[in-house]
Amino acid sequence: MSGPPIDGTEAGETAERDFLKVSGLRAGYGQARVLHGLDFSVARGEVCAVLGPNGAGKTTTLRALCGMIRGRGSVTLNGAELLGRSPEQAARLGVAHVPEGRGTFNELTVEENLRIGAHLRTRGRWRGRGERAAVAADLERIYEYFPKLRQRSRQAAGSLSGGEQQMLAIGRALMLRPALLLLDEPSLGLAPLVTRELFEIVRTVNQEERTTVVVVEQNAQLALDIAHQAHVLEAGRLVLSGSAAQIREDGQVAEVYLGVPARSGQGG
Amino acid sequence: MSTLTDLLQQVVEGIGSGAVYASLALALVLIHRFTGIVNFAQGELAMLSTYVAWQLMASGMPFWLALPVTLAVSFVGGMLVERLVIRPVQGAPELTVVIVTVGLFIFVNAAAGLIWSFTVKAFPQPFPDGGIDLAGVRMDWSTVGIIGVVAVVMGLLYLLFQHTSIGLVMRAVACNPESARLSGIRVSRVLMLGWGLAATVGAVSGVLVAPVLFLEPNMMGGVLIYAFAAATLGGFDSPVGAVVGGLFVGVAETLAGAYVDVIGPDLKVGVPLVIILAVLLVRPQGLFGRAAVERA
Repeated sequence: MSGPPIDGTEAGETAERDFLKVSGLRAGYGQARVLHGLDFSVARGEVCAVLGPNGAGKTTTLRALCGMIRGRGSVTLNGAELLGRSPEQAARLGVAHVPEGRGTFNELTVEENLRIGAHLRTRGRWRGRGERAAVAADLERIYEYFPKLRQRSRQAAGSLSGGEQQMLAIGRALMLRPALLLLDEPSLGLAPLVTRELFEIVRTVNQEERTTVVVVEQNAQLALDIAHQAHVLEAGRLVLSGSAAQIREDGQVAEVYLGVPARSGQGG
Repeated sequence: MSTLTDLLQQVVEGIGSGAVYASLALALVLIHRFTGIVNFAQGELAMLSTYVAWQLMASGMPFWLALPVTLAVSFVGGMLVERLVIRPVQGAPELTVVIVTVGLFIFVNAAAGLIWSFTVKAFPQPFPDGGIDLAGVRMDWSTVGIIGVVAVVMGLLYLLFQHTSIGLVMRAVACNPESARLSGIRVSRVLMLGWGLAATVGAVSGVLVAPVLFLEPNMMGGVLIYAFAAATLGGFDSPVGAVVGGLFVGVAETLAGAYVDVIGPDLKVGVPLVIILAVLLVRPQGLFGRAAVERA
């Protein structure tokens, strides 16, 4: 798989480690400040999980990253500043956001939804000779990840089940060939089995395409299973950061903040 | 003339005027789908376009050249209206936006009166005189022409929306603007395009109806009511509904005028109002519209 479609040349080690670099990120809605200064980095090709209770600011974090709300501080993706950009500009820099509630185009067919995801790749400065063929190949690849979408390719997206819509939303985001994939509560409202399948696919995508992923989840265990790094967010501040293994092992913290049962006691 | 051919004759004439209502209704529906706005000024914009065509022809341009120029001017004009008048109030409460379009209605109407005066102007009939006779039912070439032009407009819109990538982008924006932005679509540009397109389709209705109604600043007032009835009947977010609704309103109006003594030619303008009222009472989303039910 070729690299993400951004202007990256010789990237040093720091640039690899700080592929996404969030510094002093503050954001909110109107007068209400939700995030009080977040600092974290995500290395290129890694999955980063942001965990935390309801209302901690997980969704707000992703919205600030993709330009849906204004943020202060600094967020750079491969060196390019993301803050102060509109969602469409962020998308042009390779940020693909799968919002909470999936944001599918209900009246469009499944395949049309996927084609909209690749909208940027067939126009403007990205338009290359082989891009149309590449988009067709990617469509095929998405159908391989999500065979159910192939079966329903001509169906209106609104007629899909919740799990299928979530698959479609992720598939649409991948059609952008994103440098950074943002997933907001992918498990929301889905059956456990469907959620597990979905996370497996996200893991596969990350491994095969080296797509950098930030996933926000209430279901901490699932997210930690696929994450390299994890952060616990509480009331707009990061209270715990570390490798996914460290966070998982930190039984007490996990129990308090994530609702993950401690290893001894209730069991799994 | 037998009763049946007489009836068919009325239906044909109804379809002829219905096609004009359909094209203006289509313009209303386009804008409503993209922006959720009911554009009360749609008829006046069409009237303005018709004056542009008249002015071009008055300066010696033949009709079939003046028409594409007028449509191009209308397209640009529609985009400018979105950019300069509508976008500043985007996101404002619905009532604010409605008032702005009503204000635009009054402004355009007065401006046209100021520029071209309120005296009635003859507008050339682009289609030849005479017609064809189908088993006793007479169809004027002008009726055939109107139906043909509107059918071509529908066909082009269908091709645009269903078979081009810009059409797909436009449908995506109409469906879910926020997700469209997240996919990198410049939504504001697409909205401008939508207004330009609507103004163009509306211009077609103005140019088609002007030879019959004669050109004056208030020409489209009545047509707008019929177009509202058509869009309400078909469903304010369904282009197919707008066409079906337009034809139905045209036929219903003609038949009511011809066969219902109480109504007659004078009261037939009440027909669209009755249709609007009945639809809103029985099926507010219209025949082809989506019911306002949010899926979880």
